[in-house]
Amino acid sequence: MPENKEAVRLRGISKTFGHVAANTNVNLSIRHGEILSLLGENGSGKTTLMNMLAGIYYPDEGEILIDDVPVQIKSPKDAFDNGIGMVHQHFKLIDVFTAAENIVLGENADRMKIDRKAVAAKIREICDKYGFDIDPDKKVYDMNVSQKQTLEIVKILYRGANILILDEPTAVLTPQESEKLFRVIRNMRDAGKAIVIITHKLQEVLSVSDRVAILRKGECVASIDTVNANEKILTEMMMGRKVDLNIERPEPVNPTKRLEIKNLTVRDREGNLALKDISFVANSGEILGIAGISGCGQKELLESVAGLAAVESGSIEYLPSDAVTPTELVGKNPKQIRELGVVLSFVPEDRLGMGLVGSMGMSENMMLKSYENGKTIFTEQKAPRELAGSIKDELEVQTPDIQTPVSRLSGGNVQKVLVGREIAAAPQVLMTAYAVRGLDINTSFTIYRLINEQKKKGVAVIFVGEDLDVLLALSDRILVLCEGRITGILDARTCTKEQVGLLMTGGTGVESNGAEQSK
Amino acid sequence: MKRITALFLAAVMIVLSAASLTACGNKTSDFKVGVILVGDATEGYTKAHIDGIQAAAKKLGLADSQIEWKYSVPETSDCANAAEDLVDKGCKIVISNSYGHQNYMAEVAPKYPDVTFVAMTGDFAAISGIANLCNAFTKVYESRYVSGVVAGLKLKELLDKGTVSKDATPNAYDADGNIKIGYVGAYPYAEVVSGYTAFFLGIRSVVSNVSMSVQYTKSWFNYEDEKTVANALIDSGCVIIGQHADSTGAPTACEDAVKNGKVVFSVGYNVDMLQAAPTAALTSATNNWEVYYEHAIKTVMDGKKLEQDWAQGYESNSVAITALGKSAAEGTQAKVDEVVAAIKGGTLHVFDLKTFTVGGAAISSNIVDFSYMDFSGATPRVVYQGQQQETVKNGYVEESVLRSAPYFSIRIDGITELNPN
Amino acid sequence: MRAMAQSKANKEPLVHVVRKEDTTTLKKWMLRVIAVAAALLVTGAFVFAVTGINPFNIYGAMVTGTFGTPRRIRNTIKTLTPLLCLGVGLAPAFKMKFWNIGAQGQMLVGALAASFVALTFRNLPGGVLIPLMGLGAILAGALWAVLPAIFKAFWNTNETLFTLMMNYIATFWVMYSVDVWKGESSGFASFKQIAKNAVMPVIAKENFYICTGIVLIVAALMYIYMKRTKHGYELAVVGESEKTARYAGINVKKVTIRTMVLSGAICGLCGFLTVSGIDFTLSHTMNNGFGFTAIVVAWLAKFNPFTMIGTSFMMVFFQNAASEISSMNANATEYLSNVISGIILFFLIGVEFFINYRLVFRKNGKEGK
Repeated sequence: MPENKEAVRLRGISKTFGHVAANTNVNLSIRHGEILSLLGENGSGKTTLMNMLAGIYYPDEGEILIDDVPVQIKSPKDAFDNGIGMVHQHFKLIDVFTAAENIVLGENADRMKIDRKAVAAKIREICDKYGFDIDPDKKVYDMNVSQKQTLEIVKILYRGANILILDEPTAVLTPQESEKLFRVIRNMRDAGKAIVIITHKLQEVLSVSDRVAILRKGECVASIDTVNANEKILTEMMMGRKVDLNIERPEPVNPTKRLEIKNLTVRDREGNLALKDISFVANSGEILGIAGISGCGQKELLESVAGLAAVESGSIEYLPSDAVTPTELVGKNPKQIRELGVVLSFVPEDRLGMGLVGSMGMSENMMLKSYENGKTIFTEQKAPRELAGSIKDELEVQTPDIQTPVSRLSGGNVQKVLVGREIAAAPQVLMTAYAVRGLDINTSFTIYRLINEQKKKGVAVIFVGEDLDVLLALSDRILVLCEGRITGILDARTCTKEQVGLLMTGGTGVESNGAEQSK
Repeated sequence: MKRITALFLAAVMIVLSAASLTACGNKTSDFKVGVILVGDATEGYTKAHIDGIQAAAKKLGLADSQIEWKYSVPETSDCANAAEDLVDKGCKIVISNSYGHQNYMAEVAPKYPDVTFVAMTGDFAAISGIANLCNAFTKVYESRYVSGVVAGLKLKELLDKGTVSKDATPNAYDADGNIKIGYVGAYPYAEVVSGYTAFFLGIRSVVSNVSMSVQYTKSWFNYEDEKTVANALIDSGCVIIGQHADSTGAPTACEDAVKNGKVVFSVGYNVDMLQAAPTAALTSATNNWEVYYEHAIKTVMDGKKLEQDWAQGYESNSVAITALGKSAAEGTQAKVDEVVAAIKGGTLHVFDLKTFTVGGAAISSNIVDFSYMDFSGATPRVVYQGQQQETVKNGYVEESVLRSAPYFSIRIDGITELNPN
Repeated sequence: MRAMAQSKANKEPLVHVVRKEDTTTLKKWMLRVIAVAAALLVTGAFVFAVTGINPFNIYGAMVTGTFGTPRRIRNTIKTLTPLLCLGVGLAPAFKMKFWNIGAQGQMLVGALAASFVALTFRNLPGGVLIPLMGLGAILAGALWAVLPAIFKAFWNTNETLFTLMMNYIATFWVMYSVDVWKGESSGFASFKQIAKNAVMPVIAKENFYICTGIVLIVAALMYIYMKRTKHGYELAVVGESEKTARYAGINVKKVTIRTMVLSGAICGLCGFLTVSGIDFTLSHTMNNGFGFTAIVVAWLAKFNPFTMIGTSFMMVFFQNAASEISSMNANATEYLSNVISGIILFFLIGVEFFINYRLVFRKNGKEGK
C-alpha cells in the first residue's frame, strides 16, 4: 500500500486539566484514505485529544497542521472550516427536527428558508456515494440509535468534512449494525477521507482499521499498521505490560431456583409497555447474562426485581436457600424487601445518579442502604467508615480520602465503590447493569473476578451486558431481550455471537453480515 | 502569589487608614440634630421635611455636619436602632418624620432623658408620661380650606360662563342639583376627614350648591391607584378633584381629562402640581415645616424644654398654598389674601357650626376622647389615658388645639364616603 | 518558525478558560478576600464618580457602619439574629434541593400567629405566654411550608412558584390583621404598650439576646441534624437524586414533607422571635425582606448553618455600610446603597468562578521557541 498523503499532523500537543495531564506531548499523523484507530483505556486521553481537533478544547502546547499548514482551531466552526467533523458519543441532534433540518442546522439560521429540494438532493448524493440509508424527512425522535448515528455522519459529510472522527461509534450498536457502519466507513476511506475511530474494543480495531495509534496515560506510545497487530500486542501496548485476557467461568455448583419471574409485565415512566409477559428463572451459583439492544427492558427488569418499578402484572418469587415457601417481591419497595430479610444487591447502570450519591464520600455512600441501622436518631459513623476503608484497600480504590466526594473519582473507582458496597452486603441475588461500561481493562477484570466470587458463593447473579464477547465468556446462560420480550434463553457455553445478535433484533428482517471480513 | 498577598495587604491598609480618618473627624461642634426619615429626597413627603430642616438649620447657623441623617428607615426596629445610633453620635434632638416611627421613638426615649425625641405627626407623646417625647403637626386644614376657596372661585367662574350648567354638563349635577366634587383620600383617619371637610367647606363658602364624594386608596402614596380613583371620579362627573395622598396621580388624571375635552380641575397636596398638570392644577395645600423645626431645634439648643404637643397654622405661616396655576379664576389671589387674613385675625373659623349640619341638624357639641386606645382585643382598652374633652367652642369646632394630631372626624352633610371601610 | 508568519490571522485566542480541580482552602479564601478588596475599589470609584465623596471616607463609613460604636455592634447582632434564623430554616430545604422561596411568608405567618396568641392571651404570665407564642408561630410556619411540600410530593407542582405565591397571601393577611387590630387608631401599637407579657425578658439591657441565643442553639442543632442524623442523611440523598433515594428505599414524599415542616417551622420561629424580642409589633414590612436575603445567606454558606453566621454577618455588614454611606451626602440615597450592595455581591458570587476555573492568557514571544 503506498503511503497516503498526510491530512493532519499533531505536533507536541499537551493539555492539562488542573493538575491532571490529559495529553502530554502527543505526536500523531492522520492520513487521507486511511482508517486510524485511536486505542486506549478509559482516561488515556483519546477523546480529549480529538476534542482539540474538533475545536472543543484548545491545546496548552503544541501545534496542529492540516494538509501541512499550521492552523489554530479555536471553535467547532474553525474545525469545520478545516474540514474536520466529529461524531460525539452523545449525539448532538434536535429531536423535533427532521433529518434534513438537523443537517442544515447552523448553516442557515432560518429554518423556513431552506431549499428543501436542493438539500434532499445533496443528502441523497452523499447516501448513494457511501451507502448510507437515511430518510431526510424523518424526525429524529422517530429514529433508533443507529439511524441517529448515521444522521450525525451524514451531517458532517454534508458540511464538507474530509477528516472524520468517530468517538466510540459501536458502543450503542448491535453486531449487525456495527458491520453496516464499518461498511460505510470503508467506503468513505476508499473515497479518500481520513477517518479516526476512538475505541477500546480490540476486535473492532483489528477488523476495521488500517493503522492503530495507542494512547497510554495521555501519551501516544505507539502507532502500528493493523496487519502487524493482534489482540495480545495491542493489549500489552495499552496496559504497558502483559495481561491475561481470559475470563474465568467456573462450573455452577449445585444450582437451585432462587428467583422465579412469572408473566411479568411492566410499564416505564412514560406509561409504555417495557416488559411484556416475561418468565424466567435465575438459579443460585449461576450467572444469567442478559443481552439486548439498549432500552429493550433490561433496566425495567432489574428495577422491578429491586422494587423500583411499577409492576402491572405477574409475579417475582424469591426462594431463600433454606426455605421452601417463596416470598413474593412484587408490590414491595426496596425498604420493605430489605425488611423481609431478602438481601438483594443491585449495581444500577446509572452509578452516580442511582447507585451512589456523588456529593458524598465513600464512607457516607456505604450507609445508603444501611443508614437506618442502630436504635438512635443518629447515623452510625464507625461501621461505614471501616467498610469504606476495607473496600478502599481491598479493591484498590484510588481516592485521596474516604470522605472525598465520589463524583470526583474516576469511572472505574466509582464502580469499585458501588460494587464493593453491594457485595459487602453478602447478597443472595446480585444484579448488575452494564457493570464494566467505561472501565479500563484492569478494572473490568476486577469486576469479573468479584462477580465470579459471588457465583462461587452460591449467589444468583443477573448480569446485564452490552459486549457480547464478555457475555459469552462470563455467563452460564444468556437471556436475550428484544423490545420487552424474551426472544431466547441460550446456553452461553455453546451459542455463538451471531445467534445472540439475531435474537437481539427479534431474529427477523436483519441480514447477517458476520461473514464479511476486512479486505 | 506574592503579588496577590501584596495587593491584599494594600487593600487592608486602605480600609484601616480610612477608618481612622473618619474616626477623628468628628469634633466640630457640640450640638447635633438627628433626623430619621421614612424615605429620601426622591419622595415628596420626605423632601418637604428635609427642606424644612435644612432651612431651619441655616437660619440657626448650624453647619451641615451638625445634622445626622438616616434615610429610608422603615417602621420597624430599624427605627429604634437608628434613634439610638443618633444618640450615640451626640444628637440632642432626634426627629422622626413618619407616624409609624412613634412606637420606636417611645421605646427609646425613656433610656435617654436628656435627649429630646420628636415623633412628627404622632399622637400620644403628651399623654404617654414620657417627658422627652414630643409630637408636632401643622394646622394644614387651614390651608386646605383656603385651597377649597380657590377651587370654589374657579367653579363660580365656570358657572358664570356657562361652561358648567345643567344643559352643558348634566353629568356634573347630582340628583339634588348639587355640583359634584371628587376627593382622593388616603385612609379614613381623622387627619384625612378633617382635611377634606375643610376643603369642602372652603368650596361651599363660594358656591353653595355642591356635594363631594370621597374615595380612599388605603395608601399614602400610590400613583397608579390615585390616578385610577381620580379617573373614576372624573367619569362620574366631578368638576373639581381634591386629594389627600402624596403622588401626582390625581392631577395627572385631571390633566389627561382636560386634554380630552373634559372640564375638571385639580387641587393638590404637599407639592406644587403645576408640572404634572399645568392646565388642570389650581393650587396645592402645603406645610411649611421650617417654622416648627426652627422652633424645636432652637428650643433644645437653648437648653429649654420643648412642648410635647405643637400645632400651628397660618398664625406662624406654618401652612400655605402654592402659587396659583394659570387656570385659577380672576381675582383669586385677592380673595385668598382676604381669607388668610381672616383666619389669622381669628374672625374666620374653618369648622364654624353655622356652615355645616350633621344628619340634617346643626350640632352644638362634639366630645372627643383623647386617650390612646388599643383596639386589638374584644373590647378597646386604654393604653395612655387622655381626657374626654368638648371640642366645640364659641360656635366652632376646634381642631389641632387640644392635640396637635387632627381629631376632627365628624362626617358632615354633603360629603359621601364611597368606601368608608 | 515559518508557521507563525504564515498564519497571522489565525492567532491563538487571547484567553481561554480552564477548570481547576483542587484549589486549596487557603487559596480559596485568599481569592475571596481579593474579591472583597476588588469590590471595595470598584465601590469606592463608583460612589466617588456619582457623589464626589472621598472613597477613603466611604471605606471608613463601611467599617464604622458596623464597628463604629459598641451599640452598632449590638445592633448588628440584633439585625443578624432573624436573618441567621431564616438562613438556618432554609438550609435543610435547600440541601434537599427544594427551592423554598417562601421563607418570607413562613416568617410572616409565624409572626401573625405569635401576635394572635399574644393579643388573645395577653393576661397570661410571660413564662406561659411566650412559649405559647413560639409554639403558635412554629405551627403556622410549618403549615405554610407543608402545603407546597404536599403538592410537590404528590402532584409534582413547582415549589418555587408555590412558595413565592404563599408569600403574597401571608403579606396581605398580615396587612389585613394589622388593619383590624389597630381599629380606629392610625397605627398598630407596640406590644410593650398593649401586651407587655408577650415581650422577651431583658438580659443585659436588651430584649433580643434571648432570641440570638435561641437562634444559635437552633443553628447548632440544625448542623447536627443535617450532618449526623438519619433524617439529615435522607434529605441529603433526596437532594442529590430522587432516583438514588428510591434505590435506597427512602420514602421521598415523606422526607420532602417532613423536611419542609422543619424548614417552615424555623422560619415561623423567626417571626415569633421578631415579634417578641426585636420589633415588638406585627408589620408586613418586618425584617425588610430578609426572607429573600436569607436565600443568599444560605447559598453563600453552602447550606452549612455555622458558615451562615459568617455570611449573614456579611450581609448585615454591607447593609449597615450602605445605610452609613447613604447618610453622608444628599446624593447618596437608598438607591445608591442598593447599587453598592449589588456590586459587592456581584464580586462575591463572581469569585466562585475563579475558584473553580482559571483563565489562561496568550503567551507572548512564542516565536522564540
